[in-house]
Amino acid sequence: MNKPENRVDKIVSDLLRGRRLKLRGGDAEEKAAITAAARLIAARQGPLRMNPAFRKRLEQALETAPNEHWLTRRAALVAGFGVAAGAVTGGLLGRAMEPAATTARRVGGEAVNPIPGRWVDVAALADLDEGQGKRVTAGSVGAFLFRRGDSVTAVSSICSHLPCELWWNRGTNVLDCPCHPASFTPDGKSTDPTYPLPALNTIHVRVTDTGRVEVLGTA
Amino acid sequence: MNAGPPDEQLAGSDEPGDVLQLPIEARATDIALGELEIVYAFIYARVGNRADAEDLTQQVALKAIPRLRQGAPASAIRGYLFATARSVLGGFWSTRLGLSEAELHEDLLLATPQVAPNEERADTVQRILAQLSDNYRRVLELRFLHGYSLKEVAAEMNSTVGAVKVMQLRALRAAAKVEVSE
Repeated sequence: MNKPENRVDKIVSDLLRGRRLKLRGGDAEEKAAITAAARLIAARQGPLRMNPAFRKRLEQALETAPNEHWLTRRAALVAGFGVAAGAVTGGLLGRAMEPAATTARRVGGEAVNPIPGRWVDVAALADLDEGQGKRVTAGSVGAFLFRRGDSVTAVSSICSHLPCELWWNRGTNVLDCPCHPASFTPDGKSTDPTYPLPALNTIHVRVTDTGRVEVLGTA
Repeated sequence: MNAGPPDEQLAGSDEPGDVLQLPIEARATDIALGELEIVYAFIYARVGNRADAEDLTQQVALKAIPRLRQGAPASAIRGYLFATARSVLGGFWSTRLGLSEAELHEDLLLATPQVAPNEERADTVQRILAQLSDNYRRVLELRFLHGYSLKEVAAEMNSTVGAVKVMQLRALRAAAKVEVSE
């Protein structure tokens, strides 16, 4: 399967099906052939225009942040929730702000530590379907909750690549980004191994003795 | 080995680090969106699929547009966007294939298209194929234009699947050497 003709044919077959380029280091020697295949596929389709939905998303994004760098904006969003500051001053939160160790655990990327943070009641444990994502907000913090038995995990509802709100895809059990073809598992990991994105930020979550789910958000 | 996404300065003489001036009467976003259609077509022609093309176009937009300001001529805006596109494409190949900056030389020197998304795409295929040998042209026609599977191509050409795969690779290598203006 590692012969160049097999690798290139796999790539050609993917492109003919409209899939992404799935490449690896060993394909570098055939870059010319791969780009020729991409060019033929693009050329046979006639004049290329942006998909209207993509154009609209792009337009909205640019309208939202016309004069600042997108990634900077996202970084600012996350920083606003205290990731960076939290790393420095996390100790100030004190034990009262720590998630309940018994029923909540961290998954995915770096945790969001809002300053000042506040535990916000977002749902009843009984309202969460096993393994299904539920979108909640705790002040300015958006999160997806996932129940596994009596424990609950939470990841940020904002894509780690572009600052777009993810949505839970019940058909594929992943969090999809509406702004580009990216998706994440419930523990926040990118699903595409050939184009891995950073894991989603994790959100502190706890389940109280009375069966309420609380997320560490903002006032 | 992997040099990572190339520095913007690799993108040529358009000096992506500079701030450009946009025409006062037009909104930056409107002008840029029009130009981004051309950037999208440019990128799509190099990656051959919508998902990657959209991701890369978005990267170009978000990298370049915040630096545009009122007052610059449209040609400068296009040059700036394409300088960024070349840089982003260089980063794409570098990351996916582990290529060094030196090996990306060709990508970084791609010319900036002077026209809107062209109407000659279908002709482009024919012009590329016309310069190949009969066997190479036939295998690429069947595979790319008619969407035949390898088995169907093999049957059509009285050959084997293995032989067709090798021929397809050689035909693509030959097609890569064909120079066709876009």
